[in-house]
Amino acid sequence: MLFEDILIIILKAVDGERTVSSPYHLLKGKKSGQTIQDIGYYKLHPYFGILPKLEKKVYDKAVQKLFDKGFIIPDGQVVRMSEKSLAYQPTAPSVNGWKYRGNEQVFMARLSLIVQTLSHIHQNHRVFDPVVIADDVQQWVKSYLHRMDYRNEESCRNLKAEIAGSLSKAEVDDSAKKIVLQRLSGYKVGGLTWEQIAAIENKEVIDIRLQAIEALHTWMGIIETEDYPLLKVLLDGLIQKSSLTETARRTESYFKNGRSLEEIAALRGLKTSTIEDHFVELAMNDPGFDILAFMGGALYSKIIAASRSQNTKRLRDIKEIVPEASYFQIRLALATKGEIK
Amino acid sequence: MNLEKTLFDAYGFTSFRPGQKEVIEKILVGQDVIALLPTGMGKSMCYQLPAHLLEGSVLIVSPLLSLMQDQVAQLKKMGEKSVTALNSFLDPAERSNVLNNLNNYRFIFISPEMLVQPYIKSRLRDIRISLLVADEAHCISQWGFDFRPDYLRIAEILPVLGHPKVLALTATATAKVTEEIKKYLDLSDPYVYTHPMDRKNIAYDIRKFTNGNEKLEWLKSFVSANRGPGIIYAGTRKKSQELSGLLNLAGIRTAFYHGGMEHQDRIFVQQQFQNGELEWVCSTNAFGMGVHIPDISHVIHYQVPTSIEGYVQEVGRAGRDGSPALATLLYAAGDEELLDSLVLDDLPTENEIREIYRNADEGPQLVEQGIVRETSMRVITYWKNHLTEQETIYQIEQQKIEKMKQSAKIRKLIFLESCIREYLMECFDQQLQNKPANCCVKDGLNYNKFLKRRESRAVALSDTWENRLNAILPC
Ligand SMILES: Nc1ncnc2c1ncn2[C@@H]1O[C@H](COP(=O)(O)OP(=O)(O)OP(=O)(O)O)[C@@H](O)[C@H]1O
Ligand SMILES: [Mg+2]
Ligand SMILES: [Zn+2]
Repeated sequence: MLFEDILIIILKAVDGERTVSSPYHLLKGKKSGQTIQDIGYYKLHPYFGILPKLEKKVYDKAVQKLFDKGFIIPDGQVVRMSEKSLAYQPTAPSVNGWKYRGNEQVFMARLSLIVQTLSHIHQNHRVFDPVVIADDVQQWVKSYLHRMDYRNEESCRNLKAEIAGSLSKAEVDDSAKKIVLQRLSGYKVGGLTWEQIAAIENKEVIDIRLQAIEALHTWMGIIETEDYPLLKVLLDGLIQKSSLTETARRTESYFKNGRSLEEIAALRGLKTSTIEDHFVELAMNDPGFDILAFMGGALYSKIIAASRSQNTKRLRDIKEIVPEASYFQIRLALATKGEIK
Repeated sequence: MNLEKTLFDAYGFTSFRPGQKEVIEKILVGQDVIALLPTGMGKSMCYQLPAHLLEGSVLIVSPLLSLMQDQVAQLKKMGEKSVTALNSFLDPAERSNVLNNLNNYRFIFISPEMLVQPYIKSRLRDIRISLLVADEAHCISQWGFDFRPDYLRIAEILPVLGHPKVLALTATATAKVTEEIKKYLDLSDPYVYTHPMDRKNIAYDIRKFTNGNEKLEWLKSFVSANRGPGIIYAGTRKKSQELSGLLNLAGIRTAFYHGGMEHQDRIFVQQQFQNGELEWVCSTNAFGMGVHIPDISHVIHYQVPTSIEGYVQEVGRAGRDGSPALATLLYAAGDEELLDSLVLDDLPTENEIREIYRNADEGPQLVEQGIVRETSMRVITYWKNHLTEQETIYQIEQQKIEKMKQSAKIRKLIFLESCIREYLMECFDQQLQNKPANCCVKDGLNYNKFLKRRESRAVALSDTWENRLNAILPC
């Protein structure tokens, strides 16, 4: 259900303007110009990259279901929403894909290993098979444990109290919190596989995964903003400082040093179309972006007006009305959402 | 040098198991060794101990990702800190981190596919490798020919590494396979240590049914009545899932395990199994070779295995703590019909061979257009560097004959009238010296030795997240 709801929310946002596979790229977190740009146009930040390992066949199956149920209707290259789905208003899940970029998995890995270690140590078992074998996580947790004085009962109790306190403040279903706990393990308590949890809850695996992500994002938000010193450390390095991709950031710094688009492409050995994608990303994220470096004010206004009057964000439709604009200029203008005076 | 003392100091064991010392001594005086020791006998020790006595690192070629991870975990548990695994699942950052610190590791596990990569080779060249180990070395001839040709190229690394000593380990090698190991590892005069591959504490049972339904009903009642821990082997991922679903419905604590699951989930299943939260695991052969969980007392083959080697490897998961264990092979009429197609389907066809030889530069397109299958492409591309088209066709023909022999051996096992243990030994060109009291169904089995009544005990699953937190952290 959750997965279906998310698909409906995304498809509604891009109604009639994108192909049926655009939500797939968005959910997987594809770093292509098109996907990054769509996030801005359609305000789809929350869903970016929440399912990096989404399998095409799982996706296709869910989409097929939406067709079968009459929620969406094919229309040439794109899909349209039916009356039925327009009437349906799913609650948006509290995920924040753009901010966490899949890093909730790292948070979970750290937490799993810490909790497993404390569980064993404080029940007098020094040797156990770690649930997380990635070297970097093991190293990280080792130094964390030493700093927190993990052999001390008191430290264990403190961490447990922080977990209980912060998690109860997180505004998600208890069933989602339970999934997070089921993915943790300890002495004589094994973690449960996705399939096991799905069987117990009588739900689809993908929905269980999404519920877990929702719980983690919400929980991480609480930890970040409130006073949980032991848990806060677990967020180290996981929260995106700037919302730009690394590569767009590099383009930005060349641009600030006065390089032109073509020069940057040559310097970086990248295609100009790639650099164009970066500029669109910049335009989308930086309200102070100087769009007039790329087009006159009149052209800009024309593009925005065309988009509004036709109620569309499709490049081809706008190009028909404003043929003098290049596709790049149209994308840039749309990226600012018409917020530049 | 006192090897016993090193054994104790490094790993806390007081004495060697049969064969270990002989093998280790030969390695230390600089000889190549092929060691054929039964499953669970402690083959890993044959390289673990030398690692403490030789200068430089030990490089272990290992066939399966899960096995590699398992062995790294085992070593770390034994107190070894400098252990790593190089495989295609490392992300680029992790990989370059490992590669930059390569000489800090005492044990480096690697897949054959990784080993032949030029950039890996050049990194390995820069460090000192004193011993190259081919673990589960029968894979060289089994999988090397079938679908992993890089297995046939392990020897290419030897000159690069300045000819370290080579140790090949396996529990399941026929005389022919031993010859192939010699050939492909480039061992001119190795010391071959052979211990009878028989596992005395494992008894063999075969049960026949007239149809699949009866077989399933028997399985259900058997696992409802008897205590595990045990593994039920299925032929496919789908079947393992299906069985675990059915048994769960029947109130048995079971889960499935196969190579298509994410890594974390596979760890969870192992964890639950070791904790006793699960009684049975329904699995494909991904949970096989090399896996060491001491107290498994039952192995059931729900579907006919595709080779005797595979069967013996899988059975070898049982009774590793030395207690009596039972291996049960289930057969329903007609089960063997799929056998031939199962073993033959994957071989390259003559047509594929011809296409690849004649359209040299169009490899990728041939695969894309569906003219040649990907596996065939990989295998034939290897042979193309060594053989003419005619020779390759002949080579594949030989493999086909070999495969037919394998499935004939399995068929013979199913319909055997004589001692199963004797037959298995024969398959590996060995002779049975003495039979244990509880040998096999043909010699009469006293089931009381293996079957323990199961008390059905529901595991309390925490009902709320708070309760589960308390269960995990009772502090
Ligand atoms: N000398 C010894 N004394 C006591 N225990 C030992 C000794 N050598 C090895 N072992 C233990 O025996 C167990 C099985 O060893 P190992 O996994 O190496 O078996 P193996 O021969 O490789 O089996 P397989 O063919 O299934 O891979 C391990 O737990 C190991 O610690
Ligand atoms: Mg082994
Ligand atoms: Zn017998």
